[in-house]
Amino acid sequence: MNFLSLFARNLIEGPYTDPFPFKPAPTAKRFRGKIAFDPVTCEACRQCERVCPAGAIRFTRTKDGLEFDCWHDSCVFCGNCEFHCPTGAIHQTVDWHLAHGQADKFSAVEHGLIPFKVCPSCGGKALDSAPATAGITPALSAEEAGELRALCPKCRAKFIKARRTRT
Amino acid sequence: MSASLSESFTIPVGPLHVALEEPMYFRVDVEGETITGVDINAGHVHRGIEYLATKRSLAQNVVLTERICSLCSNSHPESFALAVETIGGLKVPERGAYLRVIAGELKRVASNLFNVAILAHLVGYEALFMHVMQVREDAQDLKEAVFGNRMNLGAICIGGTRYDLDGETTDIFVASLDRLEPKIREILSTYKTNGSIQRRTREVGVLRTDDAEACGVVGPVARASGLHHDIREAAPYHVYDRLPPEVLVLEEGDVWSRALIRLHEALDAIRILRAALKDLPDGPVNLGEIPEIPPGRAVSRSEAPRGELLYYLKTGETEEPERLKWRVPSFPNWDALTFMLNGAKVADIAIIVNSIDPCISCTER
Repeated sequence: MNFLSLFARNLIEGPYTDPFPFKPAPTAKRFRGKIAFDPVTCEACRQCERVCPAGAIRFTRTKDGLEFDCWHDSCVFCGNCEFHCPTGAIHQTVDWHLAHGQADKFSAVEHGLIPFKVCPSCGGKALDSAPATAGITPALSAEEAGELRALCPKCRAKFIKARRTRT
Repeated sequence: MSASLSESFTIPVGPLHVALEEPMYFRVDVEGETITGVDINAGHVHRGIEYLATKRSLAQNVVLTERICSLCSNSHPESFALAVETIGGLKVPERGAYLRVIAGELKRVASNLFNVAILAHLVGYEALFMHVMQVREDAQDLKEAVFGNRMNLGAICIGGTRYDLDGETTDIFVASLDRLEPKIREILSTYKTNGSIQRRTREVGVLRTDDAEACGVVGPVARASGLHHDIREAAPYHVYDRLPPEVLVLEEGDVWSRALIRLHEALDAIRILRAALKDLPDGPVNLGEIPEIPPGRAVSRSEAPRGELLYYLKTGETEEPERLKWRVPSFPNWDALTFMLNGAKVADIAIIVNSIDPCISCTER
């Protein structure tokens, strides 16, 4: 190996390191960073809470609905939650800017709320979660999906059963 | 004072020592500058992971085992998944098996380059150390582009792989391998011919073939001491029966041959990667929903960058395993240090210890 030519190249090209924080550092498209949660597409199956090896995810039932919390400081960025999520409601962003002051260590949380709603069919109180549509054939139309979503779990089961007998 | 050089002393090396990668403690008896006896003391990075594994479900343990060791971080979940699949009678889809080979071999390139770089650092050749680490950086960037992380790939799941390659990532892969290969060839020829490297590593820390056999050493340490042993060849897993490694065996058993074996294996891994990318079949990458794993016991083996990794798994009625145990390559290799260090110079301790690529965080978990 000719180290003289290597030195010459290093002199001309300068350091290999990125000049962060003075310039943005390049991030790969597939980078597995900070968790983001979307309560609208969540089925509330709580699979992410079950598979999280670090115990960073917690669902809590409150008077407003089902609350989702993911503590960024506990998260190990393994992506198990994203892999096991049936709807893609939870995913890893390319954001790795997680530095924060000591005072914020318990408040660095991704928070989401799946609120309660009133079922238009039976009038009961139920969670406004996305319905599990993976096994339904033929696929639901946009109108049907909206109708199904508004219902409570019991009325959803009735809806799907009625649809199956129709087709 | 004048007679002090010929007297015998007992000196401690470690557990915190500037030249040691990992916390380990050697009590070394010296006669002047020559080592006459070594006592190895373990237990500085015990983290209780075997116990933790019995408190987590199988899906969670894939992630936990990945964090046992940073350099073999793909081999641990790989062997764990192999054990689970044996108990459950699961067959990994063809594409998933190829993708597992690709993840494992890329880790091998980066891991072997790291050890070889540290060798240059311990020799005192800092320019070469920086250069090898810079070359390794190409492999790290590739891992980040394809898997999303530089060390913990998160490639393995029970029943296949979590990641898939598309056109864009395959192009990044091929371009990166094209950049890496000539650079590693250049590094190999430097290690073969450079005077500084040769003077510090040749005939240093010799492990004779019969001692190697007695200690049961594995991986590059075994292959540098004349033992032909590679799990990918002896008991092919995934698709290694179709992508066999070219096993290089050297007879000298010194630090230098171990470095050459590692560099050869990095190049061989690139050859396997190219073949796997070319033959990559279509189809699913994993089994999707995993059926319940019945109670049972299984042993699985894989070839980590440091050598044979063995997993024992016992599952019960619950979704947590009843027992998970692993024997890591550093365990037998560590024992062989007593043979390598005997008769060596005090100044060579760090180089000899580094040559087995010790991973104490795996060994003591």
